[in-house]
Amino acid sequence: MTVEAGAPEGAPASTRVLPRAHRIEAMVVVGVVIALGVAALVLTTQIREAGTATTLGARVIPYAVGGLLLVSGIGVLVGQLRGRFGDAEEGEDVDLDAGTSWITTGIVALAFLSLVVTIPFLGWPLGVTILFAASAIALGARKWWVAVLVGLGLGIVSQLLFGTLLGLSLPATGTLTGWIPLG
Amino acid sequence: MDSITLLLEGFATAAQPIYLLYALLGVFVGTAVGVLPGIGPAMTVALLLPITYALEPTAALIVFAGIYYGGMYGGSTTSILLNTPGESASIVTALEGNKMARAGRGAAALATAAIGSFLAGTIATVLLTLVAPTIARWAVGLGPRDYFALMIVAFLTIGALFGASVWRGVVSLAIGLLIGLVGVDSISGQSRFTLGIPQLTDGIDVVLVAVGLFALGEALYIGSRLRSGQIPLIPITRGWRTWMRRSDWARSWKPWLRGTAIGFPIGTIPAGGADVATFLSYATERGLAKGEYKQQFGKGAIEGVAGPESANNAAAAGVLVPLLTLGIPTTATAAIILSAFQTYGIQPGPRLFESQGPLVWALIASLYIGNVMLLVLNLPLVGLWVKLLQIPRPYLYAGILVFAGLGAYAANFTTFDIFILLILGVMGFFMRRHGFPVSPLVVGAILGPMAEEELRQAMQLGVGDPAYLVQSPFAVIAYVLAIVIIGLSLWLRRRSARFEARLAAESAATSTEAIATLDVEIESHEPHPQLDRGALSTTSIPTARRGLRRRRRDEEPPGD
Repeated sequence: MTVEAGAPEGAPASTRVLPRAHRIEAMVVVGVVIALGVAALVLTTQIREAGTATTLGARVIPYAVGGLLLVSGIGVLVGQLRGRFGDAEEGEDVDLDAGTSWITTGIVALAFLSLVVTIPFLGWPLGVTILFAASAIALGARKWWVAVLVGLGLGIVSQLLFGTLLGLSLPATGTLTGWIPLG
Repeated sequence: MDSITLLLEGFATAAQPIYLLYALLGVFVGTAVGVLPGIGPAMTVALLLPITYALEPTAALIVFAGIYYGGMYGGSTTSILLNTPGESASIVTALEGNKMARAGRGAAALATAAIGSFLAGTIATVLLTLVAPTIARWAVGLGPRDYFALMIVAFLTIGALFGASVWRGVVSLAIGLLIGLVGVDSISGQSRFTLGIPQLTDGIDVVLVAVGLFALGEALYIGSRLRSGQIPLIPITRGWRTWMRRSDWARSWKPWLRGTAIGFPIGTIPAGGADVATFLSYATERGLAKGEYKQQFGKGAIEGVAGPESANNAAAAGVLVPLLTLGIPTTATAAIILSAFQTYGIQPGPRLFESQGPLVWALIASLYIGNVMLLVLNLPLVGLWVKLLQIPRPYLYAGILVFAGLGAYAANFTTFDIFILLILGVMGFFMRRHGFPVSPLVVGAILGPMAEEELRQAMQLGVGDPAYLVQSPFAVIAYVLAIVIIGLSLWLRRRSARFEARLAAESAATSTEAIATLDVEIESHEPHPQLDRGALSTTSIPTARRGLRRRRRDEEPPGD
C-alpha cells in the first residue's frame, strides 16, 4: 500500500493538551485492539478446516482479518508512541472542555442493561419507564416525576405503536406483572 | 425511452395515497433527526430497521429513502442556527451559515441551503435515473472476481478515508470484518468465533451492530460530556417569502449548480463521502468569488452556504448509484439500507432492475416526491424544526436509548441481544473518545461476508489459483483506481485540514460587528424590500445538567 502511516502532517493539531489519564486510556484501548487481533488469530487455528484444494477454506479470511487487525493496531500504537493521539469526536451537544462524567455514563449503561431483567419480569412498558427515567435523571433532568411520567408515556405509546399496530411481539406484561389486565 | 416509461410506472405506484403517506413520514422523521443534534441519518435508519419486520418492502424502502434525504436537509438548519462555538467550525457550511445568522441573515442562509438542496437533490436524482439502468445493464457481465475487486476498493477507500487517521480507520474496518465473520460459515459449515455460545451461531445481527454503535454508543458518549448550561440559538426573521434578496438569488444559483456538478460524481465513487464534496465546493466558490464578495468569505458569504449544501445533497444521491446497481454501500447509511434490502431477501445489484423493477422505480419516484415535500417542510415550516432544537437534552438522549432497546429487542426478541448491544455500545463509546471512525466498522460488518462469498466463488472458478483474481481487466482497473483515489483524497484531505485550521483561526478573529458592517455595506447598494433584518441577539433556552441553572441572558450580543 502506498498509504503512509498515521494522520497526515497537515491534520488540525489538537489544541487541547491531553491529560495523562486520557493518554493512558488511549494506550489501553489500542492494547485491547492488539489483543483482539492476537485472539482472532489464535481462535482461527481452532477452526476446523475441511476445504479442498480448489475452494477457499474457512480459515483463510479469518487469518487475513486477524492479521489486518493486528497490523493496523500496531500502526495506531506506533503513531501514539510518537505522540499522535486521536481527537475525541466533536458534536453540537458535546463539551470537550468538560471532564468525562463517568458516573453518568455508568448509570446510563446500567439503565440500559436493566432491560435484560425488566422485559421478562415487568414487561415492555414498565421496562421502558425504568430505562427512560433512570437515564434522563442521570443526564440531568430537573424533575424526577416528569422523567417517570414521560417514560411511562413513551412505554405505552411504543407498546401500542410497535406491539399492537405493527405486530412486533413486545410483552405488555412480565411474569411479575401478569396480574395487570392488559391482555 | 424505456426507463422513462418505467419511471412513470414508478410514479404511479409511489403516488398512491398510502405510499405518499409513507414518504411524508420518512421525510418528516428524516428532517427531525437531521435537525436534532447527535442523531444522524445512519442512526435513524438503524433505529427504524425494526419496521422492516412489519412493513412490506416498498413501503419500508420509501420510508428509508425519505429519512436519507431528509437527514441531509435538517443538518444545515442545526449548524446555521445553533451557536456552539468551536464545534461546527470544522464544517465549512456551518462556518459561513453561522456567520450569516449572527449578522441577522440566518433566514437567507436557511433558504439558500434548502433551495440548493432541493435543486441538487432533484438534478442528482435525474442523473441517478439516467445513469443507474445503464450501469446495471453493463454490470450484469461482471464476474465474482470483479465484484470482489469492487468490494476491496470500497473497503480500502472507506477504511482509509473516513476519520482523521488511516490506521484508525483500518482498525475500525478490521473489527467490522471480524464481527461479520462470527457465526457458522455458510460454505464449509464450520462455526467461527462463536466462543461456544449457541446464540452466536447465526452471527451477530447487523441491526445490533448499527444500533449499538450509532445509537447506544453515541448516547453514552454524549452523556459523558453533555454540554452544560444553555443552548445558544440564533433567532430568525419572520416571513419566509422575503428571506432571499434579489442579489442573494443572483449569488446563489451558480454555486447551486456547481455544487451539484461536484457532489454527484464524488458520491458515486467511494472517495470519502460528502465531506470531500463539501470541501471541494467551498474551495471552488471561494476561488471564484470576486471583489467585496470574496472579502465576505469567512464572514458569512452566501455562496459558501449554497455551494457546499448542494454538493452535500448531490453526493447523497450519488451514493445510491453504486448501492442500487452494484449492491455496494459506500457510506454507513447506505450499508444499513442495504441490510434492510437483505431482510426482505432482495439483493441489490445489476439484476435488481430486472427482478425488482417495480420496487426500484417506485423507490426512485419517491425520491423525486420526497424532495418536493422536503422543500415545503423546510421553507415555510422551519420554525417547527427550530422548536425541536429546544428539546431538553436529558429527555432527548433517554428517548434514543429507549429506541435502541426497541431495536435490539425486536431483532430476535431475546434479551441476549441486549447484552450484545451493550458491548457494541461501549465499544462505540471508546472509539469516539479516541478518534476511531465508526462508519468503516458498520460497512465492514455488512459488506465483509458478501466479499468473502464473492472471493470464494472466484477461487472456485479459478480452480484455486489466486492469480485468477487479477486476470480480468476490470479488476485490474478497479485496483489501480483505488490507489489513485486514496492518494488523491489523502492529498486533498491534508489541504482541507490546513484550510480549515486557517479558516477557524480567521473566523475566531472576526467579531459579529465586523460581519454585520460588511453585510450592511454590501446591502447599501443592493436595496432589499425587507426592513427588519433581525436583531443581533441570541435567545437562550435553559438546558439541564445536574441542576446547573444559569440566569437567562436574553439581550446580550454574542460578541465573543
